[in-house]
Amino acid sequence: MSYRVKLNVFEGPFDLLVYLIEHARMSIYDIKVSEITGQYIDYVNKMREADVNVSAEFMVLAASLIEIKSKMLLPRVAAAGDGVTELTEDPRTELVQKLLEYKRYKSISEMLGERYEESGMSLAKTQEDISAYTGEADVYLSLDADKFKNAFEAFLIRKKKIEEIREHHKRSEKQRMTAELRMEDIRLFFADRGKEQVDFRQLIPKKDDKYDVALTFSSVLEMMKSNKLTAEQKKLFGDILVKPMDNLFETNAADDRDDGGSN
Amino acid sequence: MTGSKTIKSAIESMMFIWGDPLDIKEVADIFNVDKKEIYALCKELQAEYEQEGRGIVIREVNKSFQFVTRKENIGYIERLCTPVKHKKLSQSALEVLAIIAYKQPVTKGEIEAVRGIKCDRVIEGLMKKELVAQLGRSDAVGRPMLYGTTDRFLMEFGFETLKDLPEIQDIEDVLDENEGEQEDILYTEQIAIQIPEKE
Repeated sequence: MSYRVKLNVFEGPFDLLVYLIEHARMSIYDIKVSEITGQYIDYVNKMREADVNVSAEFMVLAASLIEIKSKMLLPRVAAAGDGVTELTEDPRTELVQKLLEYKRYKSISEMLGERYEESGMSLAKTQEDISAYTGEADVYLSLDADKFKNAFEAFLIRKKKIEEIREHHKRSEKQRMTAELRMEDIRLFFADRGKEQVDFRQLIPKKDDKYDVALTFSSVLEMMKSNKLTAEQKKLFGDILVKPMDNLFETNAADDRDDGGSN
Repeated sequence: MTGSKTIKSAIESMMFIWGDPLDIKEVADIFNVDKKEIYALCKELQAEYEQEGRGIVIREVNKSFQFVTRKENIGYIERLCTPVKHKKLSQSALEVLAIIAYKQPVTKGEIEAVRGIKCDRVIEGLMKKELVAQLGRSDAVGRPMLYGTTDRFLMEFGFETLKDLPEIQDIEDVLDENEGEQEDILYTEQIAIQIPEKE
């Protein structure tokens, strides 16, 4: 039997188990534990193969299923003294209770989902700014501490975002002028380290900034054009190794700027 | 004392300007009359809007009243205000909400026992949406936090009060209809096991 379903459909171990039981057209009151345990474990294994992070709760239920399965093998009659035998409880009872309770809330959740959609069809106006009608705005400020905290947090987050955007904006404007300076930086870098070959990445000061990477890359290309550097890349998308040439140390910073300026 | 016609008219104006659900207690304080009287007037007003088939109707949320658009008109509103943003709650959020709504006040542990899986994140999300709030702590060991639904929950799910929630029994009856014959299976099976033991 194949039960290819989108894996994230299941909201938890009970959800999966209820699905399997219903799919096998089994009664929830008469679960064929052995069959369902097999399917359940198969499914959990499939989830792991599919690289889904299977949470511990799925394993807990797998363990309980196996426990019930083993209990089902034992005779369910216990002597209660005076030759009277008593039928012990079906080992599945607890699980059935839990599954029924889960199913109950699942059906409530479906009902709620429908209600949510339906009542989303009437729209309300949120309270507008009524300060135009009021002398002191804070007369109507009836916030509790939680709401106030949330509002303040929202304000901080918004402020941070605005600052980030502004920061980015500023930086890119500044960077636009530093193409020549970057070549100078690279020259100084090699002046420090001598003639050894280095990974291209080492030349990038801010590796998570795309603009910076692109700028460094084009600077290296520019310097290769004027025979100040050589670079090699052994395979497609592989590491780029950059090596300075004698030329680099002979020219001075002023020449670099001239080159940059003319291009 | 102000006449009820005047009060009703005033309530209508107040609701219009207030936007958010207007608490009848606040209105009662303004007119210095009993809350029950205001409630009755609000209900009257609600019925009038409903009867006349107006495009605006009045919604009750936990003894507060608010103007909202008529459900049937949503299609036209959506054509005016495009693109439409559909609010959605995930399946897990709805499940947790269902448990909280019916078992409140309820602890996280009790919710997790029903679902068989952790739900800290889901509860957090519901609290952010203000559908769920902390109600205080239980007296049980460890004094766990208790959760319950908010007025916003009532509003967004179209319930006037918590008493409006359908009886669990009604929902179960639907379930049981499907399970009816299967209960018989359980019954016969128990007998089948018992008989050989008695012999």
